[in-house]
Amino acid sequence: MSSISRSLSHVTLAGRILIPLLFLLIVVAPILTVALAVVVGPWLVSVLSSNLGIIRFVVAITGVLLFSIPAAFIIIYMELKVIAYMNLRVGPNRVGPGGAAHSLVAGLKVLSKEDFSPANADRLVFTWAPVLVFLTAVMTFLVIPFGPGLVGQDLNIGLLYLFAVGGMAVVGLLLAGWSSFNKYSLLGGLRAAAQMVSYEIPLTLSVVGLILLAGTMSLHGIAEQQGGWFGNWFVFRQPLGALIFFIAATAEANRTPFDLTEADSEIVAGFATEYSGMRFGFLFFAEYVNVFIVSALMVTLFFGAWNSPLDINMAMLFLNDELGWNLQPIVVNLDPGGLGIGLLLLILIVPVALTVVFALPFYLTRSKLKAWQALLLGFALFNVVAVGAAFTLAFIGWDWVAGIIWFFIKSFAFVFVFVWMRGTFPRVRIDHLMGFAWKWLLPAALLNLFLTATAIVVVDALKAG
Amino acid sequence: MTTFTDPIGQHASEDDPRVMLDNQIGAFEAVPPYPPRTEREAEFYSLRDGEMFINMGPQHPSTHGVLRVVLKINGEQVVDLDPVLGYLHRGVEKLCENSDYHHIISQVDPLEYVSSLFMEWAPVMAFEKLLDVEVPRRAEFIRVLTGELLRVSSHALYQGWMALDLGGLAPILYSFIERDEIVEMLAAITGQRMLFNYFRIGGVNGDLNHEFMSRLGDWMSRAAQQHEANIGLLNENEIFVRRMRGIGRVDKDTALRMVVTGPNLRASGVPYDVRRAHPYSIYPELEFDIPVRGTGPEGGDSLDRYLLRLDEVGQSLKIIDQCLHAMPDGPIMARLPRLLRPRPGRAWAAVEAPRGLYGTYAISDGTDQPFRMKIHDPSFVNLQLVGLVMKGNLMADTMAVMASLDPVMGGIDK
Amino acid sequence: MDRTLRARLEKRFADKVSGPVRQRHDTTELRIGAADLTEVMTALHDEPDLEFVLLADLAGVDTGDHMQVVYHLWSAKTPDWLRVIADGLPRDNPRIATLTGLWPGAEWMERETYDMFGIIFEGNRDLRRIYMPPDYTSFPLRKDFYLPDDAARSPGGGVRHMERTHVPTQATERVIRRTVKA
Repeated sequence: MSSISRSLSHVTLAGRILIPLLFLLIVVAPILTVALAVVVGPWLVSVLSSNLGIIRFVVAITGVLLFSIPAAFIIIYMELKVIAYMNLRVGPNRVGPGGAAHSLVAGLKVLSKEDFSPANADRLVFTWAPVLVFLTAVMTFLVIPFGPGLVGQDLNIGLLYLFAVGGMAVVGLLLAGWSSFNKYSLLGGLRAAAQMVSYEIPLTLSVVGLILLAGTMSLHGIAEQQGGWFGNWFVFRQPLGALIFFIAATAEANRTPFDLTEADSEIVAGFATEYSGMRFGFLFFAEYVNVFIVSALMVTLFFGAWNSPLDINMAMLFLNDELGWNLQPIVVNLDPGGLGIGLLLLILIVPVALTVVFALPFYLTRSKLKAWQALLLGFALFNVVAVGAAFTLAFIGWDWVAGIIWFFIKSFAFVFVFVWMRGTFPRVRIDHLMGFAWKWLLPAALLNLFLTATAIVVVDALKAG
Repeated sequence: MTTFTDPIGQHASEDDPRVMLDNQIGAFEAVPPYPPRTEREAEFYSLRDGEMFINMGPQHPSTHGVLRVVLKINGEQVVDLDPVLGYLHRGVEKLCENSDYHHIISQVDPLEYVSSLFMEWAPVMAFEKLLDVEVPRRAEFIRVLTGELLRVSSHALYQGWMALDLGGLAPILYSFIERDEIVEMLAAITGQRMLFNYFRIGGVNGDLNHEFMSRLGDWMSRAAQQHEANIGLLNENEIFVRRMRGIGRVDKDTALRMVVTGPNLRASGVPYDVRRAHPYSIYPELEFDIPVRGTGPEGGDSLDRYLLRLDEVGQSLKIIDQCLHAMPDGPIMARLPRLLRPRPGRAWAAVEAPRGLYGTYAISDGTDQPFRMKIHDPSFVNLQLVGLVMKGNLMADTMAVMASLDPVMGGIDK
Repeated sequence: MDRTLRARLEKRFADKVSGPVRQRHDTTELRIGAADLTEVMTALHDEPDLEFVLLADLAGVDTGDHMQVVYHLWSAKTPDWLRVIADGLPRDNPRIATLTGLWPGAEWMERETYDMFGIIFEGNRDLRRIYMPPDYTSFPLRKDFYLPDDAARSPGGGVRHMERTHVPTQATERVIRRTVKA
């Protein structure tokens, strides 16, 4: 107590007033909460329940915001590490196991840096441009289905929304470039504008064929149509479209070899030249969030979204029908409530028992190991096994868990491809870039659309006649 | 014929619009804060509609050293450019005039820090001519051997830089494998990794030792393979080739008139190599070709300059092999007094450095310090090509073309 | 040493040479007056039996008494280097014709020589300082420019915003320590 009072004597006047208030708050806050719940509760519940859509939206966008940061962290770390190994380097290896916490610390560093804006910069625009860039990147998460039913908002114009919001990013980059009062930034911003506007067109056109096939623009709807086995994935019906989409999306995400907007050997860092601290952090995160979005879109549209390459139950049914086998579909009934009081026992006994069981071999074979060390090892091993078992059960039992896992596996495979490209390719030049968009990608996209439409008409005619 | 006007008394008053004060927005321009002194400067620092200046360097991520290039651009197109030198100038010629002959070797070492043995070679040769010294044969072999090793390393690094300036991240690290091995090797006999300070007037500082020979043997056994791998790294990359082909073309006549030397000249179709054109050391005894590219009407572009250096690496490997087989025994230093006082006279010596003709012109006045020492650096002359070939090209190519000329600012700024 | 080259040069430039054509090691030395430079160089570059196509080097020399500009040339017609010394430039007003008409690439070398010696190459369209800052007023490689605390003692030591002048006489007023008989 004396130490507290001693430290209190060093507190400033404001602190002396505020600290008692803090204690007061701890006492008062629960009372206030209960009072509010009693008085305003019923009204609040009725309001909320009649506006479930809005709540769902708010929850979804919060979740999306929260998700985007770790996603960016993982991709940044992945890029550092993968390119390092491609370059015969080691990459980050100081913070965390294998440097895994590197991007986390880098994020903290960015947060703690001075928030600096150059002289003659347009302060207002300079401040808000990165926010705009970041928000547009995050907003596109809203319509991406991570698993069956796991979509922020299942808009029936999902694809349209994606392109509309994604196209807004260019405004942010342009503003960032223009407001910095730096010629490199200006050039970077203008390059971004030219590049993204040009590539928006083949990007959009490349999926029109897919929309014709799918008959919907809802991403969830498109994902559902690719279930079953991997032959149903749209990449096999739209190979050209997928290729065009991949190239155009690379350009949209400003990734190598189309990273002219921040070409370090030409225009220093493009629109981000004058940015520092968290404003730069926003631009930086947005870039990596974009990488994830592009990969996720690639997966959702062309590579079967959250569907596994081969649905085992469906395969069994198929085999039963075709070959006359009698395979029983695997059904795991995950209903923990069904165990009743047994659940409690399970939670109490199984960890202890398994810890001991796993610890025993260590304790018996390693004479130098003390009992508590063996138990610690056993507990660690138990955790690994338990988590693995839980995931396996959930994977089999719940569609959405399997969906998420498949979705992330596929998405990160594409992220890897983007990183790989960055480690390998030199940068294209602006005239080659533009020429490629208008002379090759656009006609190819139109051709793809034409072929798809013809095929649909022909197939329909054949079916009818 | 234009005449040079002496700028005495031609000063702009403060209300002259060309004078930029620090508190004006224009102070952020690249325009110098004084009236133009020459016609060229006046022409360059006047803008037409739609043009702007952009300052590339001295702290730009991809200038090769502290070079500043003022670009006059119209959109992405480079209208004109003005390289501004001197950020690394340390007055090495004046330093040499005030150092004795032995000391000079360490003064000139950091000029072209990528290939510093060559920086020692020409002065040493010039002083040997002043002193009428015969260099022992083994020393000459060692000089050629180490020099060609360094040429391989320099060209390997060039390949990496070239890719880096085009946005490719990986090749520079691959080229450092070779460079690292070679500098380690040379460190075994010289004691240093970068500024070797190895050649001496009348010989070399130390004999080849076991570590050098074993490292060299290891390296030679896979050098050809590594060279093949390096060739495969970028040569068939469509983006790379499209960015290099036809960019920065220099034809034969222009190259000669611009007094370009070295690989840049040979890539324009002129088979000029000091090692053959004016043989020195033991080069007349060795068998090797002078690779030439860009002899056709469309030649002399960045890609030719790039490929030519790869060809040269192959030839250097050949020379190294011959040196190793023909290496004689014997002394590595000529007998010389400690204090060198050459008779008054003049001497000129030139060697083929990885970047071209590197020459030294020394005048002795009979004291232990040269009266005048001129150092001719190839990068300095070669860099002039940038201003010539970049007009009308895109800004993105500025650094690429500059990298293809392979300038090293230490040598340019002396 | 290429004796025939010496004979050829002596014959061709008999009226131009201001000293004997000397030869030592692998270099032949031709000494001419500064006024004849353009004529001699054009002949060396263009005439089919000479054809010195490559300007290997361009150096200024301050002998302490007068200035020289020294050119090193290369030709496929001879195994020798050719050194052309344009002699006798006065230290207080060294002027010589430019070679940028023959070799446009000599521009920077002339700029360097101007920067270091104050030799004015008449006709060079871009005779600015190249290494030293533009407001620098003295010429570092002249023999009256001392190395120890040179910056403090040189006329350009004081900080001036603009290059007011570069009068060579200002530099010659100081003491010359070393001279060479050349």
